[in-house]
Amino acid sequence: MMDVERSRHSMHPGSSGSGLRHSPRETAVLIATAGNGYPKKSPSMPNFHEKPFTSTNASEPILNSNGLPVSSEYVADNSGVQSLTDGDASLSVIEMYGDEVESRRPENEDGGNLEGDEDADSDELELPTSGMPPTGSAMPNSDYFDRYGFKKQSNLITEQDYDEWWENYSQYCIRRKHKWKILMEKSGLPMDNDSPNRFPSRSEKLKRYVRKGIPAEWRGNAWWYFARGQEKLNKNKGIYDKLLLKMDDLLKSKTKSMPDLDIIERDLNRTFPDNIHFQKETFQIDDPPMIKSLRRVLVAFSLYNPKIGYCQSMNFLAGLLLLFMDEERAFWMLVIITSRYLPGVHNINLEGVNVDQGVLMLCIKEYLPEIWQYIMPQTSSKHFSLNNGTSLLGGNDFLYKLPPITLCTASWFMSCFVGVLPIEGTLRIWDCLFYEESHFLFKISLAIFKLCEPELIKLKPLRNGIGKNPIRGQRGSQMSNGESEMEVFQIVQTFPKQLINPNELFDRVIFKRRFSLNKLDQDEVDRCRKYVSSQRLKYKHYSEIMGTGHRNNNNNSNNNSNDIGIASSSSNSADGEKMAGDIINDALSSEVYGFKKGLGGVHWNNSIKAKVKQMRKKKG
Amino acid sequence: MGNSVSRALGKLFGSREMKILMLGLDNAGKTTILYKLKLNKIRTSAPTVGFNVETVSYKNVKFNMWDVGGQERLRPLWRHYFPATTALIFVIDSHDKERLQEAKEELYAIISEKEMENVVLLVWANKQDLKGSLKPQEVSDYLELGQNLKNQLWCVVGSNALTGQGLVEGLSWISNNTPKK
Repeated sequence: MMDVERSRHSMHPGSSGSGLRHSPRETAVLIATAGNGYPKKSPSMPNFHEKPFTSTNASEPILNSNGLPVSSEYVADNSGVQSLTDGDASLSVIEMYGDEVESRRPENEDGGNLEGDEDADSDELELPTSGMPPTGSAMPNSDYFDRYGFKKQSNLITEQDYDEWWENYSQYCIRRKHKWKILMEKSGLPMDNDSPNRFPSRSEKLKRYVRKGIPAEWRGNAWWYFARGQEKLNKNKGIYDKLLLKMDDLLKSKTKSMPDLDIIERDLNRTFPDNIHFQKETFQIDDPPMIKSLRRVLVAFSLYNPKIGYCQSMNFLAGLLLLFMDEERAFWMLVIITSRYLPGVHNINLEGVNVDQGVLMLCIKEYLPEIWQYIMPQTSSKHFSLNNGTSLLGGNDFLYKLPPITLCTASWFMSCFVGVLPIEGTLRIWDCLFYEESHFLFKISLAIFKLCEPELIKLKPLRNGIGKNPIRGQRGSQMSNGESEMEVFQIVQTFPKQLINPNELFDRVIFKRRFSLNKLDQDEVDRCRKYVSSQRLKYKHYSEIMGTGHRNNNNNSNNNSNDIGIASSSSNSADGEKMAGDIINDALSSEVYGFKKGLGGVHWNNSIKAKVKQMRKKKG
Repeated sequence: MGNSVSRALGKLFGSREMKILMLGLDNAGKTTILYKLKLNKIRTSAPTVGFNVETVSYKNVKFNMWDVGGQERLRPLWRHYFPATTALIFVIDSHDKERLQEAKEELYAIISEKEMENVVLLVWANKQDLKGSLKPQEVSDYLELGQNLKNQLWCVVGSNALTGQGLVEGLSWISNNTPKK
């Protein structure tokens, strides 16, 4: 706590206006890249002072197209005395772990030359033996950690599973990077020592490339570019530094004026406890640099936007960003994510979460009716229906009283899938999120549900849901409902966690045109969000006016007599409620959301090739 | 409710199944407890955003444990998910004395919900391994459950999620104090 500012030491109070550090080296870097408007390194680059090893040359590419170190020299110093100036500390973690790939690659390369033609331009593979960093305790052991420093093993994935998968996937990554390089060259864009700052203009091709994964080393810059981070930063130059000064002042004054600070503190050391960069070594008294950066970003954010303050899950967003970019950029990306991509989701009133979950439920109902039957709440309709069984919200009552499954999916959105899928999957989603905007979060959620289907089908015999199987007695039916609800929950919670290969999701669903869910586009999601939010608001108003808050309707949920979800409200639903309900029903039921139909919504098969293919199909 | 569910289950499967809601302030140790019970492993756990659901079997009872994220502002998200709970487990960080009052308030807010009228309440006074932690009796005195709870059966058990101490004791207390037929 005391040295919150320590690694920001060189931040000059007078520099806040320009956002530049008064370090000659930094300035030089900025000037050198000023031409394209994207400073290579911003002042708040995470530093790794306390790491016992580091590269001697910040601007040197660490990974080549093989993901292998080309010419990195490591200062091997296990004692930890090696300390860098700020200017040198501009390695992002992914670069740091170039040596990771290196140290385990030899085995994987064996017989792996099938891709040789693709890698024609690759550099010679020098397998350094002497320049290897020491395997001190601060070093991630490549046997246990992936290239980002995350532990390979999880509850559901063994290290062996990981290694087997990675053997292929790393080859895939190499192939993809090679293609990206060709695309960059064709577009006349410089690769800037494997750290490109500009990317090709938007196209179907680029979208496909992004969906297949941005090269890991480029991710930080690519996200920043696609999310138009620089635009945001340029409009707010110096703000981040000012926020840090404010934070410093507040900490010094020891007033209790930062209510979020305690809450942030409690989460700091629980953020990515499985990632080497977030772990405190036993010999460290101090927090690791990454934790300090995380603290600064989160506290600065809570000062910047008190409407949000700090909400659990933002620690994951900021944490992941910090693995790929410097502190100031991570801060602004957090601002962008919480405002542009997930509007209102992290706000104190949580309405944004509920709206997005309503949208997701509508989408599942529309695009995946086969899944909807498993998650549609059996008991939902009676909360919002009257004794005569009519629904208050024209069948969309689940928009107000969201199905239980949204308790699971809400966290998907809040944390943008961090921790929901294994890390490579999450990163692929982030690639698409920043390129395609927020509708991709819905699309990928639908894809996950689609892939869950085989597991859900297995549950069918147990379930009488939706009145399809009225054979069981009432009591039995409720029991099995409760049980199957639990199982549905477990499937949806667990399934994505074991999806080690992101291509499963993309190849089997996202790249399949036959799935109507791929028609979902940003326009649709924007419209849908508006609809859901207005419906929820209206319902809230009506129910307040009429005095039929949903809690009142809610108290019969233990009623065993409900079988097919039609209202069987207990005796306390008086006539007044019925009347109120009728009025609400009248007012709302006319507004049913209509999804766009037809090809208009199909953004991504606009290419002529795709159209021709389709026409052929029709003829055939 | 719990009664009928377990009765039906007992008839069908010869065993019981109950839904257990595990609540508590953030950083109390809920997720660590859950995975200690489920996998007998200590997992360094991250803050839970949303839910963890796991089934834990003990003797012939299946506990469907719902471990719910603790941060205050996220609590409204699951408020409506109280119904149909057999037992409520409230986990307390016995070492964090500063937040005991907050924990107490939260516990009473939950237990006074209509849906909680008939649940059995287990309080795990967690982190007993930490020096200076309050003993279960002290936690119990502080919470004043005896004075305040009229309808619910309750019990405070000391626990240490790292060693598993107190966890089985807690679950067996629950299974002994919920209707068998």
